[in-house]
Amino acid sequence: MSRNPLEFSLSSRMIKPNRWLNQDWLVLFLIISLVSFGLMMIYSASGSVEMVLRQGIFAVTGIVFMIYLSFSDYQRLLPIYLNVFWIGIFFLLVVLVIPSDVSTRRWIDLGIFGFQPSELMRCVLTISAAAFLSRNPRIIFRDWMIVIGVSFFSFFLVFIQPDLGTAIMVLISGILPVLISGFPVSFQIIGIVIILLSTPFIWMNLLDYQKQRVLTFFDPNSDPLGTGWNIIQSQIAVGSGSLFGKGFLQGTQSQLNFVPESHTDFIFAVVAEEFGLFGVMGLFLVYLLLAFRLVMIARNSNFLFVKLVAGTFIFLLLTYVAFNTAMVVGILPVVGMPLPFLSQGGTALIINMIMIGIILSFRRTA
Amino acid sequence: MKIKKFFSGKRDSESSKLVLYLIFPIFIMFLVLLQTFNLTVLNGKKYETQSENNRIVSRTIYPTRGLIYDTQDKLLVENIASSQLNLVPERSIDTLKKIKEIADLLNLEKSFLLDIYEKQIKKPRYPFQPITLAKSLNDEQIALFSVSSEKFKGFSVETGLVRSVVNKKSLAHVLGYMGYSELNDVNKSSNFISGNQIGISGIEKTYNDQLSGIVGTRIEEKDVSGKFVRVLSEDNAESGKDLKLSIDLDFQNFLIPFFEGQKGALVALEPKSGLIKALISSPAYDPNIFNSSSSLAEIQSIFSDDEGPLFNRATMGNYPPASTIKPILGLAALDEGIVDWNTIIQDDGEFYVEGDPRPYTGWKKDGHGKVDLEKAIVESSDIYFYSTAYDLTIKRLEPFLNKFGFGGKTNIDAEESNGLVPNEKWKLGYIGEFWFKGDTINLGIGQGYMLSTPIQISQAIAVIANRGEIIKPRLVEEIDKSPTELESLGKINLKDDTNWEKIEKSMIEVINAPNGTANNIKDTRYVIAGKTGTAQIKSYEDQEYEDIRENPFFRDHALFVGYAPIPDPELLILVIIENGESGSRVAAPIAKAGFDFYLTKNE
Repeated sequence: MSRNPLEFSLSSRMIKPNRWLNQDWLVLFLIISLVSFGLMMIYSASGSVEMVLRQGIFAVTGIVFMIYLSFSDYQRLLPIYLNVFWIGIFFLLVVLVIPSDVSTRRWIDLGIFGFQPSELMRCVLTISAAAFLSRNPRIIFRDWMIVIGVSFFSFFLVFIQPDLGTAIMVLISGILPVLISGFPVSFQIIGIVIILLSTPFIWMNLLDYQKQRVLTFFDPNSDPLGTGWNIIQSQIAVGSGSLFGKGFLQGTQSQLNFVPESHTDFIFAVVAEEFGLFGVMGLFLVYLLLAFRLVMIARNSNFLFVKLVAGTFIFLLLTYVAFNTAMVVGILPVVGMPLPFLSQGGTALIINMIMIGIILSFRRTA
Repeated sequence: MKIKKFFSGKRDSESSKLVLYLIFPIFIMFLVLLQTFNLTVLNGKKYETQSENNRIVSRTIYPTRGLIYDTQDKLLVENIASSQLNLVPERSIDTLKKIKEIADLLNLEKSFLLDIYEKQIKKPRYPFQPITLAKSLNDEQIALFSVSSEKFKGFSVETGLVRSVVNKKSLAHVLGYMGYSELNDVNKSSNFISGNQIGISGIEKTYNDQLSGIVGTRIEEKDVSGKFVRVLSEDNAESGKDLKLSIDLDFQNFLIPFFEGQKGALVALEPKSGLIKALISSPAYDPNIFNSSSSLAEIQSIFSDDEGPLFNRATMGNYPPASTIKPILGLAALDEGIVDWNTIIQDDGEFYVEGDPRPYTGWKKDGHGKVDLEKAIVESSDIYFYSTAYDLTIKRLEPFLNKFGFGGKTNIDAEESNGLVPNEKWKLGYIGEFWFKGDTINLGIGQGYMLSTPIQISQAIAVIANRGEIIKPRLVEEIDKSPTELESLGKINLKDDTNWEKIEKSMIEVINAPNGTANNIKDTRYVIAGKTGTAQIKSYEDQEYEDIRENPFFRDHALFVGYAPIPDPELLILVIIENGESGSRVAAPIAKAGFDFYLTKNE
């Protein structure tokens, strides 16, 4: 009992050995299934064992983080949670300042792997916003405005990287806690109007390639070898998958590199090509089941903080899935959005697992 | 039930709000499922066949490169059909090994093909865009390939266009040759995408953007057997523009035999317009070897030739201008008030600097006696110019020469080298020594460290013919039927404008006076103004002059520059013959033949 490996946990609560078995096995099972399936798909898309190994290392790291955090006591961590967004802001500024030979600055190169601060921001913004809004029994209006302000500032930092897709997700991750915590409907409508009015301004500030993506979406054949090529080819991949798919490693579209970025943003095309419509339905079912299970945790808790963090994460999880897959099948423009737990990319994977770990910790202290 | 309680959600406003929001992504996911159903079930057959046959193929449409004509519309460079070996890397397996095998089969050089492949594969390519590995395959190679084409998946023999220079060697340096761009050129424009050749030298290089046109792309749908079905989208190629050079091919071909077996250069241009009528650099090479040959050995033999046939001596060769710039140095002395036309300097064949016992000797051992500026130019007195340069000092000499374009570029539409006008700072930096008065004295006869290209000397002498106007030399007369413009690079104003005419008169006497150094080319039909030059390339101090002459590589370069007819010059010719020894005996007669041909061609 005294040799418990979690003795040095930030959590002060003593964890008894039998508590080890008190896991949310379903969530654990779903996550591990998703990640393993993702590794298979990355292998199929890239044919690179090295890439699979790297992603595997990230996955294992993420799972360790997840389990560790699931034993923590979030109430004691609230003061820390309140301030973690500063870390995100710091790294976003760093990535803008450090010189880079490419015009888009999304990565901090840590030698072995690249670290994507915008992904971190998504996570810490939600946690801090939720902690901030739930620190008093009653939310005053000024609190909401502060969170909205910080969210737009974070959005701006990611937007100028430039990375529109992630910037929108960062914005949502900060705004959603405001909305869920009861932000008045009349103000929500005002907000929507403001956003609609500012759309032309945002459009003017989009880079050519981003505009091109939006335009191509409306007419894929206008630039068939640029962004149109991706959509045409990924549609062929999905369509040729039929009901049951061509089978693992049998997807000719992806195997022959017709589908670009097939191991990252377009990995869903590989899934659809190799496992068909039923594979897609199965995958969606897993995501929905995961979301449902996490909603139950939020639902069972009496704490606002828990509901805000879990709610925002679930919403973002499903939004990522929806946007990414909608982009692959050609019903939304191509924006750089990975498919959670499946796309190759270490930062997003680890961040998502950390979020799951934090949500699981609510379950213990509920 | 738990779920019922969940959806009733009265007690828990946050959770019910969340569920409300979740409708949004779930709704999109539902749409995705519908679209997937649409793609797989409703249109599945279509996509299945499309993917089965990799039926979407993108093709690069290479534009037809512009043709090049001479001033009389004679075709100089064309595009001819040739059989070429193409490779679609996506279709081949174990590509490097197959390339080696096919090189053996077709008797091509392995390293050559591999080099092309490695360069091309790294450039931006559309998927399934072929790479051309070899051009100008002969019938035997085509037959050999078709017999065993089964073995080489992804390889094919197709017809393509190659660049072909009609007159082979005679305009090699003007026209230049084609090749594959280096990797770091790739981002410059879409024309640098894989497979597209670019101009590597000459007009092909300087006018590459105009000649190359715009690369197009076409996406084709193919059926099961690989047959063309329809064009899905097309982005048309735009042909390159045709060029008309100012070069007169007949004139050029007339002059070339004079350079047979010699190294040297010739520039012939219209002083008023800057249009170049002939440009020779000898020895030359055959650009077609680069344009279409697949033989590495042939190409390497050109590269490794000691005489440097690739090197365009006319625009890139740096020579001492020697006595050809004496008229300009004379103008400098006049303009700075060092001498006037009546100033007499005693020339006994030697010039001494105070405190230096070493004599600076002239080319004529006993000197020219009493010399004024005109006589100094006509007889090419070195002592006269030693003296004026000494008085001018480098401080005044260098800026004056720079005004005429020496030490810089002429801005000709060809690759050219910078010349060099030395000064104190340059010498300290590059030689590591302080400036000596003797350096100024050597500069006074266009020797010492001074270097200039033939085109540069031509441009500077044309300034005299144009009375101060500096004209940009150009090779291209028309681009796509629209004329290129005459460009003035500035005007030199002398304190006394009549000096232009007076110095020209001295240059006329160089040919017309019995004591003139180029009296041997005097003609009764028209008047030439010119100046000879003999450039020392080996210092006399090192060895006896006679010993130096034993080695042909150390013999002096022969120069002549002149323009005719006076008073309305139509043509300026500069001739330099490396190791030709005598400007008047070797270089001037070639220029004379050129004037005869050009000025009397319409008679």
